[in-house]
Amino acid sequence: MLRRFDMYVPENIDELLSYLDDHQSGVQLIANGSDLINRIQRRQIEARILVDLSGLTEFNYVKKENGTIRIGALTTIQDLISSSVLGRHYDVFRDVASKFGGPAIVNVATVGGNICAASSSEDLIPVLLVLGARVRVRSKKGERVLGIEDFLTGKRQTAILPNEILIETMFNELEDQSACAFEKIGMRNSLIIAFLNCSVFLKVSKESKRIEEIKIAMNRISEKIPSRATKTEAALRGNLLTKEQVENAITSLKSELRLTSDFRTSKEYRQDVAPVLFKRTLIKCSERLGDKLLV
Amino acid sequence: MSKHLLKFTVNGRDHALVVESHERLLDVLRDRLGLKGTKEGCSTGDCGICGVIMDGKLVNSCLVLAIQARNKKITTIEAIGTAQNLHPLQREFIKFNAAQCGFCIPAMILASKNLLDHNPSPTDEEIKEAIRGTLCRCTGYQSIVRAVKAAALEMKKR
Repeated sequence: MLRRFDMYVPENIDELLSYLDDHQSGVQLIANGSDLINRIQRRQIEARILVDLSGLTEFNYVKKENGTIRIGALTTIQDLISSSVLGRHYDVFRDVASKFGGPAIVNVATVGGNICAASSSEDLIPVLLVLGARVRVRSKKGERVLGIEDFLTGKRQTAILPNEILIETMFNELEDQSACAFEKIGMRNSLIIAFLNCSVFLKVSKESKRIEEIKIAMNRISEKIPSRATKTEAALRGNLLTKEQVENAITSLKSELRLTSDFRTSKEYRQDVAPVLFKRTLIKCSERLGDKLLV
Repeated sequence: MSKHLLKFTVNGRDHALVVESHERLLDVLRDRLGLKGTKEGCSTGDCGICGVIMDGKLVNSCLVLAIQARNKKITTIEAIGTAQNLHPLQREFIKFNAAQCGFCIPAMILASKNLLDHNPSPTDEEIKEAIRGTLCRCTGYQSIVRAVKAAALEMKKR
């Protein structure tokens, strides 16, 4: 049995937005609850009123429109990877799902919930960072679109206002000669909370095979929240993906990581596995580009 | 506002009951409907022992608020087979000694059934994938995988 709270169950989005406009404090939005119910049990949620979003099924979608992929906030991880819109080019989401949790978690956890939970262990965040994703939020007064980096302001903190809800996340379609991958390391293969996670986006020139664009995001670049390893990206950009370059990148990455010990694992362990994890993700990403890039 | 009318279907029977905001699906199944086959393990979504099928998908009933199950169809272990006529999965679990203490078995059977409902001829890997969120501390899983595979064959013969 959970501690007591009240719950508001809106019939539709308009009713929800009006309610949020009238109740700008003491409420907590809940999608399907796979993370939030634990946090209620651990007494990390102070709000006395929960607002149930689970009935707003119109926000469960994956669409491709004019070169943009749009994912509704209430899309579950399972629905995301089952979507016919996201073909092999988007296997990065299958990377996430395969290590996200067991089927019972993947079936309920939502994309919007993962973004809004905004902690260092949310696996979709590094992927959305390297994809350069944006998020759309809506209030009674209208909508606004923010870059994911501006949306995530700190640990468990986002730029969302009390009267707003997250509607969708979107990013540009992956071009040819570009690929994306995700890897993580945790305690248990099926229900991992990441000690470390990593996502890499890579775009190479068809002719020269040089790296045109690379984006790297890990959950321990900043202590608070997943973020980009911009110095390491800069070190690799324009170069061939040689063993030497990768070693240089690892040296750079080590200087960018802000590793600490916590109840999950030690700083030393993270130091040892971070380069391995990065290399693994980079190799996976380059393999998706077909050619043997790593020489 | 703390009380809500919950209408849903459990094991083919329609129910309408008043639930409080903080009640979980697990609480309602066990304490209101007396369906004690669904077990409470960790209560945090880690062990999968409280697994039930909701609208054709495996969920942890400890992580679903009761009111969020409104208008849904729930299947619990009570709907799988009868003492006189066991489900093929139950028969094969017995045959392969796939249950020892038995605590995870309701969820294990449901996770396996949900797999076979969607994929009648799973590979070993697919079976492992389907049950990977359901912890068993006794069997080491090998006998469970063999039992599910045998049940799949058995069900295809019918």
